[in-house]
Formats: sequence, structure tokens, C-alpha cells
Amino acid sequence: MSFWEYVGSRHTQLLTDTYQHASAVFQCMVIATVLGVAVGVATYRTEWAGALATTATATILTIPSLALIGLLIPIVGLGVAPTVIALTLYGLLPVVRNAIVGLRGVDPALVDAAKGIGMSRAARLFRVELPLAWPPILTGIRVSTQMLMGIAAIAAFASGPGLGNEIFRGIASLGSANSLNQVLSGTLGIAVLALLFDAAYVLIGRLTIPRGIRA
Amino acid sequence: MTAGDGGGARREPPRGGERPARAMPEDDEEVAAADREPASDETPTPSAARGERRISWQKWTFMPSFLVLALLATWLWFRGARLDSIAHQAVDNGKVGLALRQHIGLTAVSTFFVLVIAIPLGIALTRARLRRLTPFAMAVANLGQAVPALGLLVLLVVWLGIGARSAITGMVIYAVLPVLANTIAGLRGIDPTLTEAARGIGMSPMGVLGRVELPLAVPLILAGVRTALVLNVGTATLATFGGGGGLGDLISAGIITQRMPVLILGSVLTVALALLVEWLASLAELLLRPRGLEVAA
Repeated sequence: MSFWEYVGSRHTQLLTDTYQHASAVFQCMVIATVLGVAVGVATYRTEWAGALATTATATILTIPSLALIGLLIPIVGLGVAPTVIALTLYGLLPVVRNAIVGLRGVDPALVDAAKGIGMSRAARLFRVELPLAWPPILTGIRVSTQMLMGIAAIAAFASGPGLGNEIFRGIASLGSANSLNQVLSGTLGIAVLALLFDAAYVLIGRLTIPRGIRA
Repeated sequence: MTAGDGGGARREPPRGGERPARAMPEDDEEVAAADREPASDETPTPSAARGERRISWQKWTFMPSFLVLALLATWLWFRGARLDSIAHQAVDNGKVGLALRQHIGLTAVSTFFVLVIAIPLGIALTRARLRRLTPFAMAVANLGQAVPALGLLVLLVVWLGIGARSAITGMVIYAVLPVLANTIAGLRGIDPTLTEAARGIGMSPMGVLGRVELPLAVPLILAGVRTALVLNVGTATLATFGGGGGLGDLISAGIITQRMPVLILGSVLTVALALLVEWLASLAELLLRPRGLEVAA
């Protein structure tokens, strides 16, 4: 069976897996973005807190994802729970780091000016600092998403959802006629998803980065 | 996977934000660095000695003591855990030591090949003759990042057969891209006036490369080495799915047979190894940085 015949005959299964993969990554990325920006906002103004957040996130980033998932299984069991926790945790890291870098990079003169015209602390944060720090944060989100695509594939080993299942089905039937098709469809599916998400982020960047600071 | 799986691209932006600033101090300082470079090349010891002083004692002691405590706790717990015959089968007869040795071997061999391929390729792609290909190479590197490590590894297993060799091939392909991107970024980030000045005083192209460009790009290249090592420790856990061995064997055996002690032992060892490698690489990064590029920190 050629690759395209395989894709044609299994398209329902493949589409379900693809949808689940994309939706898992997307939802975890939304949680990770909210948490990551919150951590960034909470820590960027103190030297040691920012350093601690950056070091902690970098350390977690060093941990191999299979090992982290392995450590989560005894605690939360198999399936969706370890997948969501692992994806959110890994997704946090680039967002936190870039949020801190971005918020610290905002010109203090601008924040002073905002204070001078009578903006409250919250207004300064939401109307001046975060919009100015948004481009690096968005870069962090892009990087996170691409990484999560690959990690979600591994999470399938802990009975997680998504295209990783296709790859593991291929491993399980190694040597059979369809194993290459299975692995190939899973791998290519994830690569295509990653590229689609990346294109979406470029579009989001065009729409959401304030006109004044567009490069 | 780390995260390893996700790769180097994910680390690019923060690095992009932070490194260039560090790698490019005042122009005068850079010239000084270039001038002094040969001396610091021949005598690495003083630079190392100075580096030691620069690293705080917390950096020397925190990670090793944390790892020792974590491993000790795991070992004590594991000795007390009740293992049935299936769990025994997974860990007895030196299987844990074997998996650890295999893991280190996979990481070391693949990192060696990554460096041997990526750094010369990066240098070649920044030479005048091939410079037109650089954007193309960067595009391939970025596209490649979209391919999941697991899929790549398993595809190679399907094509090349089961075993450590296909695992290493996959790890090398996967880690070459970020290191290549780092090397190219490092060499391109060098102030062109410096290379021009070097050419102006009569240096040959090789001289400019060896005595000006490479020393100035050392911080970024070292960052690439560290990226490769950390990535490979992570990707090596996936070798188990292609019969390549390594600590992934313990993790997958633990998951498949539902024996939590085996799973936890494998995971803790993998985490400890990854953190240890990261720590060693970060120390090496500080110690090997050329003296002239030391920024008062």
C-alpha cells in the first residue's frame, strides 16, 4: 500500500489524531501563556525573583520529556493528565523567560511618562508594558508550540492523545507492510501541524503587535 | 527533549536576546581580545584559573549536592521498595548500570558527530563563497525543527533497522540543526569592522578565521555544544523505541509492565544525568570562554 493510499484509507483515524494533537497542544499553550506571563509579571521587577524564575524554568527545560512523563505517571496515572501537565510545564518555560526579558526591556522613560500622565499601576502594565513586551512573548509562544508538538508525540506513550499514537502503532508493527506508512503519516502530520501553527503565529503577530513598534 | 525534543530553536530567542549583548562588548575590548587571542590560546590555564574565581561557590556546590541527595533518596527508597519478579527482571544483573552506560555512550557519540559536522559546516556556510547559501541553510534548520524527534528516530529505525546506529543517526540529524544555527549566528554576529581591520593588517583569510572570527564566536559555539549535549541526553531516552538501549529502556519497561519502582528509578536517573550534563556544560562554557571576552559580571 503506498503512502497516499494508506492516508486515503485511514483518513478518519488520521484526522481524529491530528485534531486531538492540535487541540491538546493549543489548549496547553493557552494555559502556559497565561501562567507564563503571570509569572513574568510577578517576577520581572525584582532581580532575584526574575533570576530564580529563569533558572527554575531552564532547569525543567533540561529534563528529558520521557523522564518527566515517567515521574508524573505514578502521581497522576496514565492518559490525558500527565500529557496536559507535561505539555503545560514545558510550554511555560520559553514564555516565562521571554516575558521577563521583554518586560525588563521596556524603556523606563515610557513607563515614567505613563506614570506622569496619571496612569495607575495596572493601566501601565496592561496598556504600556505588556503591549511593548508582546513581540518577545509571542516569540516565546512560537518556540514553545513547536517544542510541544514533539513532546505531545512522546506523551502518546503514556496513553496521551494525538498523532504520537500513529508513530507508536508503527513501532509496534515494525516490519509489517504498514509500519512505515504509520510512522510517516504521524511524523509528517506533526511537522505540518507545527508549520501551520507557526504560520498562524506570524499572522497573529501582524494583527496584534502595536503598529508603533512593528519592525 | 527536553525538552530535548524540542530542541534548540526553542532556546533561540532568549539566547538571541541575551547573548549578542554579552558576546559583543565595547569595540575596543573586542580588538583587545583579538590581539591577545593567540596568547590565551596557548595558555588556557590562567584563563581557567580566572574562570574558577568568577564562578560563585554556590554554582560549584548547589547542583552536585542536590543531585547527590536526590540520588541517595531514590536509592534508599528503591532498596526498600518491594519488587516482584517482573520488576526484578527489569533491573537485575547490572541492567541499570548497562542502561546508564549505554545512555552516556549514545549521548557522547552523537554529540561528537554533531560537533564534527555542524561547526565546520557553519564555518563553511559563512565564507564569502558560500554565503549565499546561509539563508537557505537557516530555513532548512528551522523547517527541520518542526519534525518531531520521536518520528525522526523511528523513521530511521524503519529504514536502517533496529539498533544503536539508527538511534545515533537520528540524534545527530536532530541536534545538528540548532548547533549549526548557533555557529552561523555567532560568526555572522561579528562586527565586520573587526574582520576588515584584521584583513587590513595583512592577515590571510585563514588567519582572520582562526585568530579573530572563531575566538569571537566561541561563546556562541560553546552555547551550541551545550545545546547539543542537553538535546542528546533527552533524545537518547527515545532510543529505546528503536532498540538502541539507554535509560529509556527502564522508563518504557516501567510503563509497559506497570512497575512503578522501575519507572521511577529510570526517570530519576535520566533527570539526574540530564541535570549533571547541563551543569558540566555550563561550567565548561564559563571556563573555556576566551579571556578577552570576559565581561565584568
